[in-house]
Amino acid sequence: MSSAIVIAVNIALATFLAVGLTPVFVWWERRVSGFIQDRTGPNRCSIGPFRLGGLIQSFADMLKLVFKEDFTPSHIKYKFFFTIAPVIVFFCSFLTFATIPFADNLVIDGQSFIMSAIPNELGIMWFLAFAGLSIYGIILGGYSSNSKYGLLGSIRAAAQVISYEAAMALAIISMLLSYGSIHLTDIANAQAGTFLGIIPMWGIFIQPIASIIFIICAFAETNRAPFDIAEGESEIVAGYHTEYSAMRFGLFQVGEYAAMSASAAIIVTLVFGGYQIPWMDTPTVQNNMDYIMMALIIILPLKAFFLTRWMKKNNKSKDTNDTSRETETKILSTLFWGISLVVVGLLVIFLTLGLGENGVNIVTAVLQIGTFLVKFFLMAFVFIWIRWTVLRFRYDQLQMLGWKVLLPLALLNIIVTATFIVVQGS
Amino acid sequence: MGIKVVPRHGKSFKDKLYLPAIIGGMKTTLSHFTKNLKDVDKLKTMQYPEVQPKDLNERYRGVHRLTKWEDETEKCVACYMCATACPADCIFIEAEERFDEHDEKRPKEFKIDLLECVFCGYCVEACPCDAIRMDTGIFSFTAGTREEFVLDKKALMANERSKDLNDG
Repeated sequence: MSSAIVIAVNIALATFLAVGLTPVFVWWERRVSGFIQDRTGPNRCSIGPFRLGGLIQSFADMLKLVFKEDFTPSHIKYKFFFTIAPVIVFFCSFLTFATIPFADNLVIDGQSFIMSAIPNELGIMWFLAFAGLSIYGIILGGYSSNSKYGLLGSIRAAAQVISYEAAMALAIISMLLSYGSIHLTDIANAQAGTFLGIIPMWGIFIQPIASIIFIICAFAETNRAPFDIAEGESEIVAGYHTEYSAMRFGLFQVGEYAAMSASAAIIVTLVFGGYQIPWMDTPTVQNNMDYIMMALIIILPLKAFFLTRWMKKNNKSKDTNDTSRETETKILSTLFWGISLVVVGLLVIFLTLGLGENGVNIVTAVLQIGTFLVKFFLMAFVFIWIRWTVLRFRYDQLQMLGWKVLLPLALLNIIVTATFIVVQGS
Repeated sequence: MGIKVVPRHGKSFKDKLYLPAIIGGMKTTLSHFTKNLKDVDKLKTMQYPEVQPKDLNERYRGVHRLTKWEDETEKCVACYMCATACPADCIFIEAEERFDEHDEKRPKEFKIDLLECVFCGYCVEACPCDAIRMDTGIFSFTAGTREEFVLDKKALMANERSKDLNDG
């Protein structure tokens, strides 16, 4: 019974993070870019008094894409490939998320569960396989579009992926050397604890060069700026999805954001300590559960207070007769306060009654999932932030960077790491 | 005039690393983001329907109006100068005889098709009687049908000089 619940929770979480967050990320993309450029971004769309800061716009856009005519241009010869291409992109990006662990192995009644959607031992290999495969969808889409822009886009995607996949795999190898496992839960556990007293044992601190190479390559893998030359709208219209419309285009879009989610999750897992709460490994969390719960009881209402105060200040209409903003603020404030007070109440009950062994394990898992989510969203924000900061690389510069800089650096890093490990003898 | 040597950038090791420059750029964008997130009022975007633009000036060409004498009758003498000058052929005038003290001719009907109009202001230039002006400051004109976009004499005479402009 408990195993079924844990597996269902994991699958639901992976599905939600990989696919369900697409509207949220589209919303972030548009609002964050707006704020970065001193404009508002979409903020008008509403259901009743609810605007949710413009989030409704993403759902409206999605509905529009679903109900648009699914149009196939008459010059397309291979209709099957044309149809299957966005599905490949979507499916592979989605599956990439399957092995990401959301928390340390959860022990319930002596039975241990791997906290990922597809609990297998492949770990990072699974990620490499499916992240590489999703490019095939892009190549196939551009090729079967039967237009020069689509073909140019897919050629660029192919050139880009062979110049970055190598450096990425090599960077991962040097990381695996220092973590000693390909299994992502082991990798995250290897990043628990600290060295030199205060610095967390995260990948970025113990393998800085490999981490930077991996992050750069992960950006290239997702086909996002500054590596979005496969789209390159200033040069080749829209690249591989020029001929696509309606929900087929929507699937490319969802696939892109799913790839972004997956990359953010894998970067967090490999480089930023995964689900590890900084300075606290799993046994520490389990032994000090009472103090952590007390800290949460103080922190949660503070968060709700700052969030509602920010909302009250910024969720205003310029029209003095319009009270819908105030209504929304009131309803959402009540909601946030309600959620935080319910959680605080639960924590107080746990504190007074005491948790069993299973309870401590489950609360630890929930805390670690929370930590993972915070890191994951921060990384997704970095993806968006970079996109609106850095310019697109030129085609030749991009390959130059991949072949002449990242690849030798990654190889050098492997040699240094291997030598270090052999000399140290561990 | 000596030769000015422009220093070349991008040769130093720091420049070739790219990362310092990228982090510098990210700092700039983040400072804009946090500034605007803390206080949405700092955004440059004008929340249009609620906030109307205040920078209309004398040279702004809005929807036309027909000017009037003190007794609320039109100054227009139906000379067809504006219709002749109009490059878009959007002014349609029907003349009739006038029997008051101002003039001997008046427009029976004066129509402007705003869908055809290019808002060039040539009609205002051409008018010998200062009878047509474009100083209403009306810049958003919406309607449901094509017919509603054709303004007749009554509508044109109902338009007034914009309140935002100073009296002149």
